[in-house]
Amino acid sequence: MNKLFIIIKREYLSKVSKKSFFILTLLGPLLMTLLIVLPVLLKQNTQKSYDVAVIDNVPKTVINSDTVSFFKGKYKSNEKVIFSYADDVTQAQKDLKEGKYDMVLEIVKSNDKPPIKAFAYFADNEPGLEAKEDVIQQTKQIFRNSLLMVNYDLSKEDIAMINDPQIDTYITDIRTGEESFAEMKMILGAILGFMIYFFIFFFGGQIMRSVSEEKTSRIVEVLVSSVKSVYLLFGKIIAVALVGLTQLGLWVVLTLLLLGGFKIANPDIFNTAPKTQIELNERVVSADKINALDIDKQPVNEVLQGLNAINVPLVAGMFLVYFLLGYLLYGALFGAIGSLIDEDADGGQFSLPITVPLIFAIICVPMVMEDPSSSLAQWLSIIPFTSPIIMLLRIPYGVPVWQISVSVAVLILTVIVSIYISAKIYRTGILLYGKQIRYKDLFKWIRTKNS
Amino acid sequence: MDTVLEVKNVSKSYGEKIALDDVSLNVEKGDVFGLLGPNGAGKTTLIRMINQITKPDKGEILFEGEKLSAKHISQVGYLPEERGLYKKMKVGQEALYLAELKGLKGNIARKSLDDWFKKFEITDWYNKKVQELSKGMQQKVQFITTVLHNPRLLIFDEPFSGFDPLNADLLKNEILELRDKGATVIFSTHNMESVEQICDKIVLINSSKKVLEGKVKDIKQRFKAGLFEIIIPGEYSDDLLIEGVTKTDVIYNNGTSAIKLKIEKGRNAELLSNILRHTDIISYKEILPSMNEIFIQTVKQANNE
Repeated sequence: MNKLFIIIKREYLSKVSKKSFFILTLLGPLLMTLLIVLPVLLKQNTQKSYDVAVIDNVPKTVINSDTVSFFKGKYKSNEKVIFSYADDVTQAQKDLKEGKYDMVLEIVKSNDKPPIKAFAYFADNEPGLEAKEDVIQQTKQIFRNSLLMVNYDLSKEDIAMINDPQIDTYITDIRTGEESFAEMKMILGAILGFMIYFFIFFFGGQIMRSVSEEKTSRIVEVLVSSVKSVYLLFGKIIAVALVGLTQLGLWVVLTLLLLGGFKIANPDIFNTAPKTQIELNERVVSADKINALDIDKQPVNEVLQGLNAINVPLVAGMFLVYFLLGYLLYGALFGAIGSLIDEDADGGQFSLPITVPLIFAIICVPMVMEDPSSSLAQWLSIIPFTSPIIMLLRIPYGVPVWQISVSVAVLILTVIVSIYISAKIYRTGILLYGKQIRYKDLFKWIRTKNS
Repeated sequence: MDTVLEVKNVSKSYGEKIALDDVSLNVEKGDVFGLLGPNGAGKTTLIRMINQITKPDKGEILFEGEKLSAKHISQVGYLPEERGLYKKMKVGQEALYLAELKGLKGNIARKSLDDWFKKFEITDWYNKKVQELSKGMQQKVQFITTVLHNPRLLIFDEPFSGFDPLNADLLKNEILELRDKGATVIFSTHNMESVEQICDKIVLINSSKKVLEGKVKDIKQRFKAGLFEIIIPGEYSDDLLIEGVTKTDVIYNNGTSAIKLKIEKGRNAELLSNILRHTDIISYKEILPSMNEIFIQTVKQANNE
């Protein structure tokens, strides 16, 4: 046991002190932080708003003795486009050329179809895709709202309802009385499944390379004269797992620190609600009632509610169990394959049979996500080579206890068999040089009692 | 003398291939024991068994009278033919790691390492990475890692390969010094010259079987073929020979002739008096076969049987 500890210590330290570990440890949180912060920063810094002058030449209508414009005064300014109104096209075009506006939008009524035509002029600043899209969408929306109001005499509230039918849906699990939040569960399951897939490949590959490095450098002959060969294999598997956990822990801590740092440096960074929008909306018939504040609030609430609906300790616990077992299952096999690799070139043939089930599991992910309780999903979450990924997809939805028990039991048994087989292949493989190894040989080694 | 290692009727096969077939040998304390044989004869298999890397199918191996077990690992030092170290580790760290794996405590290993580094005058290598060293330098480091834990039994597989003659000589003297300090050495090589120089006893393995065993001196006596070299002043003439003696070679050089003769048993005295009747004898000596000749002859003979 003492020697196993010595091996784990060396393996761990040698991997943690590598430059690549250092770089990856820094790069991960940086990328994460950038992914979160950069879009916000970009939005803030590229906020050169686009000035549009609207000329509403559509004849006004009288409703309830009020004279109402179709378009004038109904555009909503936002962080991308700021609307203002003008009366004279010629003057506005002159102003456009002088740079007072970025765009002049003239809306007219015509006798042929469609009856409303919009003419947009620009000079120095061609509108970007977003600005253009915003102008077009708002124009359509305003036209529609005005039509509804003028032709059907609908109230603002009705129009709002038509534009954005608000129905609160409650999908409830009748046993627990909890709401479903299927999308949240799907996303969470997918993230967890992919994480396991990624970790198994990433760390399994590390074990494989580390084993084959010892074989290729021939130091392994000295090592096995000092310790039992399985200690070397287990030492590696344990050390790589520890390295992975260290890296994961550092990522979480560093990402939180970086995000915290950004927040302190720029307190408004996650609070991007453009304030201008709210005031301008008041007079607009458009019923787009989701103002910036609502946008910010609602998803957060939903996430919190969703998390309440999901049994987080169960999901986290199952993630650890399946991660650990899946890692052991594949890690041991990757180690065995590493012992067959003499020069870097070969060995691919042997890694194929263990990468295929992993890739198969990933291919099945969309089907399982569509129907997490289908019989395909149930089988794949019991078959040990796919269960670490597929079961994680299903766990957030709630899986019958007996299925989890069977799946974990089968997985544990397979892990034991896999470690046993890997150790047998490993102890023979590492000492075999320059020989073409076939599958037949592997079966022979597994059956051999003595090494 | 105490027996350090006793290999008793050991057999081992891999599938259909027999690697060792009923091999027995004894290594006494303080011996430099040569383990000889052509490639693929089974030497490495035997060495791996002594190192407990593999186990015999049949037979047993005793270390100082006890059945070989995990506690003996720290008593054995092994320099494999295929050398290898972690390329990216620092020299000092790597040596300490290997010593720790052999069961040596960190501080003792450190002290011992310092002594060896001083002895080889390489203290400035301590913090260098292994890959920065030349191949010969790496070999030196590997030699140190083999002996660092002060083992009672040392196993060297082709220790001189990769060393220049100067360092090979240094290494040879180190091995003999370790022997003088009480270590026992098993020495596997193809280099018969070095066998003659340092081995006391040898075993020759061919095609998984032991074919020759004994002290180097005794084996040479056993294999002598009645060859002698006589040096006389002046030139050689056939008058010098008598019945039962055949000349194999004559070299005339600076007024003396070196004559190689094969002499049948019991004819030496008569031959010498016959020669003295004609001329003087400057020197007279028996030519013993070299280990190289014995090796080739034995292996050829074994293969023909």
